[in-house]
Amino acid sequence: MNIPTMQSFVEQELLANYASMYRFAYSYVKNEADAMDIVQESAYLAIKNASAIQDKRYVKSWLFRIVINTSISLLRKQRHEIFEEHASEQGAEDTYADFDTMEALDILNKRERTVIILRFFEEWKLQDIANALDENLNTVKSILYRSLKKLKTELMKGEVCHET
Amino acid sequence: MKHNFTEAKKNYQKIPVPPELESMLKQSIAQAKADMEQENHTPGTHQKKASTNPRFRRYALRGTGTAAAAVFAIALLANSSASISHAMKDIPIIGVIAQVVTFREYQHKENNMEADLKIPEIQVKDKDGIILEDSSKELNDAIQSYTDEIIAAYEADVKAAGSEGLENISLDYDVVTDNPSLFSLRFEQCITMAGASQSQKIYHIDKNTGKMISLKDLFKENADYQTVISDNIKTQMKQQMTEDENKIYWLNSDTPEWDFTAIPSDVNFYVNQSGKLNIVFDEYQVAPGFMGIVTFEIPTEILKPIVKEGYLD
Repeated sequence: MNIPTMQSFVEQELLANYASMYRFAYSYVKNEADAMDIVQESAYLAIKNASAIQDKRYVKSWLFRIVINTSISLLRKQRHEIFEEHASEQGAEDTYADFDTMEALDILNKRERTVIILRFFEEWKLQDIANALDENLNTVKSILYRSLKKLKTELMKGEVCHET
Repeated sequence: MKHNFTEAKKNYQKIPVPPELESMLKQSIAQAKADMEQENHTPGTHQKKASTNPRFRRYALRGTGTAAAAVFAIALLANSSASISHAMKDIPIIGVIAQVVTFREYQHKENNMEADLKIPEIQVKDKDGIILEDSSKELNDAIQSYTDEIIAAYEADVKAAGSEGLENISLDYDVVTDNPSLFSLRFEQCITMAGASQSQKIYHIDKNTGKMISLKDLFKENADYQTVISDNIKTQMKQQMTEDENKIYWLNSDTPEWDFTAIPSDVNFYVNQSGKLNIVFDEYQVAPGFMGIVTFEIPTEILKPIVKEGYLD
């Protein structure tokens, strides 16, 4: 596939998926301004590097991989800024979203949370998640089972609280 | 367990996506393309170009994010303590300033009937921090009659449906524009009965005068802004429909009486962070329901001859 066609396909996918990309970024950085930055930055990178991807089927996973990487590098940069300068505004969490049940996900590490979000909230196939994380399928499966196990204990705690 | 996941998924999907994100995304895409173009023609100089523009965008964004957060903080502080809200007066201001100073909530729940409305109260002040009573009252009255109407409709439904009713109604607000010339407060209403329907209402304060304004006030006297904007929207509709068969607007459709002809004078609008006029249509207003709330960004170039100075970029 030649470059312009792939680029316009990536563009279509961006327009179709930016809301998911935003929510996903938000789950990482927990604030609107940073999540918006990440989506924009990712879109910019995706368009510029569209020629790097050959198979249309992988575009969506690839986009999310870019979002993951951009989020991680932003968080890393902010951690440095916290030491180097005033960081009072950095990473401030917006409070409007109701995260009650999502807070349970906080016990997971980033990779585990990514798998859970993509699998259950975005309803992805495991293979696509594996592509996004650049992992093999079996690794993703074991991350998934491990996270579910952790979550089960966490969510169960919550349920007991609600009943009493 | 399953129930909890459903709940968590719902919360996840409820994470609000800022409406301006789409146009910013398009800007990033355009920027990437432009930078690539540049690189192709002048190899070696691309790095400067490529790195400056996105960064500029980022700072612009960060600023507004903080502004929105500040407004939220003010609202919360004002609610929790009168003295803190008093101390806020000392923040230096330029021109008229409008703020959400407090909000009240209307909440009701009875079986499956549920309402949760957040109703803000706004203060408009002049540059010396003196409250402009008339302007504040004008806006707060408008908000009140808007929300009263929603509440009355809901209460009528509760009465009519008794304990059998199934309805969920929510109203929330955000400051969609707060730049040197405009303060705009957007309400988002969501009603879920058999299906869900969304609508918006946006109020604007002109920061030069402290008065509430509508779309026509952005334009010179007697300017035919409605035609200029409507024609542009029609062009955009056509273009989108040609490019994407999944998009449908009511334009040249089978039912001509539904077709979009012109924007009403009280149409919802806001000015986005890059200073562009955005026209907002509620669900069903110009398109089938699945299209949701639709927004059109109007290019400033075509408005240049008729728009008043200082509102758009």
